[in-house]
Amino acid sequence: MSILNYLVLSGILFAIGGTAVLVRRNAIVAFMGVELMLNAANLTLVTFARMHGDLTGQVIAFFVMVVAAAEVVIGLAIIVSIFRTRGSASLDDASLLKS
Amino acid sequence: MFVAPHIEWAALSPVLILLGAAVIGVLVEAFVPRGSRRLVQVVVAALALGGALVAVTWRWTVVQQDGPSSLVAGALREDAPALLFQAILLILALLALLVIADRARGEDAFTPTASAIPGSEYEGQARRAGLAQTEVFPLTMFAVTGMLVFPAAADLLTMFIALEVLSLPLYLLAGMARRRRLVSQEASLKYFLLGAFSSAFFLMGLALLYGYAGSVHLADIATAVPLVSGMDGLLLAGSALVIIGLLFKVGAVPFHSWTPDVYQGAPTPITGFMAACTKVAAFAALLRFVYVVTPGLGWDLAPFLWIVAILTMVVGTVLAIVQTDMKRTLAYSSVAHAGFLLLGIIALDERGISGILVYLLAYGLATVGAFALVTLVRTKDAEGNLVGEAGHLSEWAGLGRRSPVLAVCFALFLLSFAGIPLTAGFTGKFAVFGAAVAGGDWPLVVIAVLASAAAAFFYVRIIVLMFFTEPATGEDGSATTVVRSEGLTAVAVVVCAVGTVLVGVVPTAVLAVAAQASKFLL
Amino acid sequence: MSIDLAAILIVAVPLASAGVLLLLGRRSDGWGHWLGVLASAASAVMAFVILFGLLGRGAEDRAVDVHLFSWIPAGELDVDAGFLVDPLSATFLLLITFVGTLIHVYAVAYMEHDDDRRRFFAYLNLFIAAMLILVLADSFALLFVGWEGVGLASYLLIGFWNQRTEYAVAAKKAFVMNRVGDMGLIIAMGAMFASIGSVDFETVFAAAPELSEGWATAIGIALLIGACGKSAQFPLQAWLGDAMAGPTPVSALIHAATMVTAGVYLVVRSGAIFEASPTAQLLVVIVGAITLVFGAIVGCAKDDIKKALAASTMSQIGYMMLAAGLGPIGYAFAIFHLLTHGFFKAGMFLGAGSVMHGMNDEVNMRGFGGLSRFMKVTWITFGLGWLAIIGFPGLSGFWSKDKIIEAAFVGEGWQPWVFGMVALLAAGLTAFYMSRLFFMTFHGKARWNDGKNEAPGPEQHPHESPLLMTVPMIVLAVGSLGLGAFLAFGDRFFHWLEPVTGHAEHHDPVIPIPVIMGATVVLMLIGVLLAWRQYWASSVPLMPPTGSVLTRAARRDLYQDSVNEAVFARPGTHTVRTLTYADTAVVDGAVNGLGAGAVGLGERLRKLQNGHVRSYSAAMSVGVVLVLVIVLVARI
Repeated sequence: MSILNYLVLSGILFAIGGTAVLVRRNAIVAFMGVELMLNAANLTLVTFARMHGDLTGQVIAFFVMVVAAAEVVIGLAIIVSIFRTRGSASLDDASLLKS
Repeated sequence: MFVAPHIEWAALSPVLILLGAAVIGVLVEAFVPRGSRRLVQVVVAALALGGALVAVTWRWTVVQQDGPSSLVAGALREDAPALLFQAILLILALLALLVIADRARGEDAFTPTASAIPGSEYEGQARRAGLAQTEVFPLTMFAVTGMLVFPAAADLLTMFIALEVLSLPLYLLAGMARRRRLVSQEASLKYFLLGAFSSAFFLMGLALLYGYAGSVHLADIATAVPLVSGMDGLLLAGSALVIIGLLFKVGAVPFHSWTPDVYQGAPTPITGFMAACTKVAAFAALLRFVYVVTPGLGWDLAPFLWIVAILTMVVGTVLAIVQTDMKRTLAYSSVAHAGFLLLGIIALDERGISGILVYLLAYGLATVGAFALVTLVRTKDAEGNLVGEAGHLSEWAGLGRRSPVLAVCFALFLLSFAGIPLTAGFTGKFAVFGAAVAGGDWPLVVIAVLASAAAAFFYVRIIVLMFFTEPATGEDGSATTVVRSEGLTAVAVVVCAVGTVLVGVVPTAVLAVAAQASKFLL
Repeated sequence: MSIDLAAILIVAVPLASAGVLLLLGRRSDGWGHWLGVLASAASAVMAFVILFGLLGRGAEDRAVDVHLFSWIPAGELDVDAGFLVDPLSATFLLLITFVGTLIHVYAVAYMEHDDDRRRFFAYLNLFIAAMLILVLADSFALLFVGWEGVGLASYLLIGFWNQRTEYAVAAKKAFVMNRVGDMGLIIAMGAMFASIGSVDFETVFAAAPELSEGWATAIGIALLIGACGKSAQFPLQAWLGDAMAGPTPVSALIHAATMVTAGVYLVVRSGAIFEASPTAQLLVVIVGAITLVFGAIVGCAKDDIKKALAASTMSQIGYMMLAAGLGPIGYAFAIFHLLTHGFFKAGMFLGAGSVMHGMNDEVNMRGFGGLSRFMKVTWITFGLGWLAIIGFPGLSGFWSKDKIIEAAFVGEGWQPWVFGMVALLAAGLTAFYMSRLFFMTFHGKARWNDGKNEAPGPEQHPHESPLLMTVPMIVLAVGSLGLGAFLAFGDRFFHWLEPVTGHAEHHDPVIPIPVIMGATVVLMLIGVLLAWRQYWASSVPLMPPTGSVLTRAARRDLYQDSVNEAVFARPGTHTVRTLTYADTAVVDGAVNGLGAGAVGLGERLRKLQNGHVRSYSAAMSVGVVLVLVIVLVARI
């Protein structure tokens, strides 16, 4: 099992996550894309930890998970408040501030 | 065998004081009765910022004697630049806190309950009952904690955690404006989504660098740069992604799109806080990263940094010229200032560090002061009720005649932004441009000077509007008025104005202190 | 008290007083004038302290450098702000502060009915401070600060009653003509920097003998232009007459005793430079000679008492310039005459103010006559001043002016003859027109309406002025009487100035001294006699008679304004119009084009910020991709 496979996988995941942020209209799905990107980075970290024979990468992955969880809390709070105000979580509707 | 790291509690005192204050703030929310909650929160926050400032000053004297040191097993670094950036942050945060804590006609700048649906009966009841969202203060304290760690972070993980700790409260705070709730919520959403997006890039860059160097310590990465070969792609891509993550926080083009929308939508005291303090923290981290890790990569990263700097200066200035909203104009102007500051980063010269320090101090004072004044200028409708802040530039016409002191202070801050001599902005620009020339980047300086000249246009336009134009009444009978607050904003404005003039007229003291920060030591 | 401290205080006190009076505004109206007087008096005390301090030292030790602060450390040009206290500056300090204080006291009463009296005193104090900086400066740069300061104070004071448009216009004229002169001073400083590399006195005067004659001449001429502007010498003399629009204390202080002497100070102080360029020196003498004749001719035809005195000032400063241009032999005489002139001219101006005060602010001498009976003190003090200026033996003017005439006759070739004769004849003219002024005002039949005769005009009640006005006049008259003799006794004044002016070889004039003295006295008597015959013994017409071509020309100030208009103003306006057009068309066009471009670009870029989060993240992603491409591809 070469390291490269995992790196490519994490790259693909990262790209998918990024695309989700760009393409999907629903705020929650876009945020899921961000989470996917974070986890792709986690995968990279663990892979490199394996490559270097070091545990640091795995420890960092834990930290990232905690941070991602905190981000979810904040993010969902914001998205829910918008949903309650407008009745939809569509990102395109939120465009009062422009130019 | 696991050896617990030695924790230098004394050296961590500024951060601990603030963290403690933030936690106490949360507990205050839970336990203190509603009537006295506000006062207790403000006092706790102010004491914490003051105490942290004292602690930073004390650590400065220690570092002057004993030299820099690594803290918490290399996660943080206590050296002259870190302490100076922290000191500037605390000063600006204290001034911003004064504006955040201020109330006009009994109402502060924040919504009574952030969780209520805007325009609902519940919200109206909450407002009439005089509720106040006092969580603002512990949130601010958390944000400042993150900002304090950011300049001192000596490894990428700490930097990432600090980045998130400083950003998450700001995402929330941006959505808590009292009026124009829809816009405020939208600003919060945009900031969050784009911020999370860029944090993901930062993290990927962190992962790639880890892969390259086997460690996330900045010092280890720096030593690995010349040593490891064959994996240059990882190094370059990783460094670029980390820098991009930081450039987002700073507001550099093309990662600046959130800046105008968020600055406009957030409550104005928070905008002032964000505009000043996040920039200071982010530039401190960017400075540390670029100067420590990538000096050897100067050739590779220079093209992209040059392009970003030029684009930022030009786009910021050009877009600010065509704005009609006051907060948006100031937002784009802060984008342009980020461009000027990038010159100090690109310089990769000793004087770049001190130059950025002075510029950030000057810019921060003027920013906090300017946004503080923006909180005071409101629109009132035909019956005399306060409608909200006077957003449109035309509503600022003739302010010089009705509130001369306010207009003069605002003009002073605008002149400092423009970099007119005898203001702090000139000292800052001179320091940074001098560093850039010393680093050999004189084409950038030429563009910067041209952009400054063009920027002077929209600053002076506002001054002309205030002093030489007749005040206008809207078709619906609305007029602009300057509201009288409880006085904290006035104190903040006076301090900022005095600071701006002092640093401009007698800059030698500030320049001397900043020059001592000229060497990062690994 | 040390000389250093006194030198700093002497400037700081009036400056602070001016600041206080201007900042406090109306609140200080009740006591502001006394603060002004006190500040001036304090400076006078300091001046005496400095004088006695210097006298206490040996003759070689009389130059005190007071270093203030490092002012312009700009690479090669390193200018420190400092004061130089030596006999020359000490002399001026005494003149400025002593006469200044007397005039301050006078102004308390003269301006009593003016609401803006406090502001007047603020400006007077400002003037004193600036003039003191001018004479104390140890570098041309600091001197220039004082130079501009007195120019500003002069503008503010001439146009003090700026409710009257013509007064404001006069102030503007004075200021603009002074600016032309200032250009000369700036060019001189530039030339000094280019050739010597410094603008402070010590360095420049030490390097002056080594200067090439070209540079020395250029610097000298430029300095002369500056001096002409400030001292109202030909060709920049047209503003002095108009400057009489200011209140009389202003005319006395600024346009008689002090500011107009700044040019003479400049020339004497820069003696080393002029000695390096005989051409420049000759030019100084010529300018002085022309002006002294010009002023004398104009003074013969003026009916306005203040304008006549102004023309006289112009002429007397011409004497001083002539002396200063003669080289080391003339410097001390120029300063001597400057001192005595300060006393008797200021005294006469105060006397004119007193007459105006008693005659309802009338200035036309054709409306005076016979006032000696009604204003005894004014008559006597004015009379003493008159005797001094015409050079009556024994009074101060006799000592100072005669020395200049003698010095003018020294030399070789055509110069001593021409300049000596000019000086001599002008002395006669001076006697004529000053006597004309005196007789028309105080003697002869009363031409004003005293209720009994059939003279035209409103009824006048001439009376003596209050004590606050008469006492300064008396003090100045004492000076006119005795100062000359006191200072000339045993040549003590010239020895006092020697460290600065250098030791002058004594040469004999081409005509023996007793002959010169005799001729001077004779011409003086002829002048007085002619004036007596025309303006005392016979009746003076109420309307000015047509007179000869010269008289008409003299009434129009020898057409100085028309000349200025044709030679300078009209071509100047033309040039400005062309330049403005070029500026608007070319420069503004470029800048506006740039601005329009920026706005156009901005409008287009605005569309990118369309409010949709996804567009923003798209922009960011594109940015990331591009950056990665740049960074990675560049490596390859």
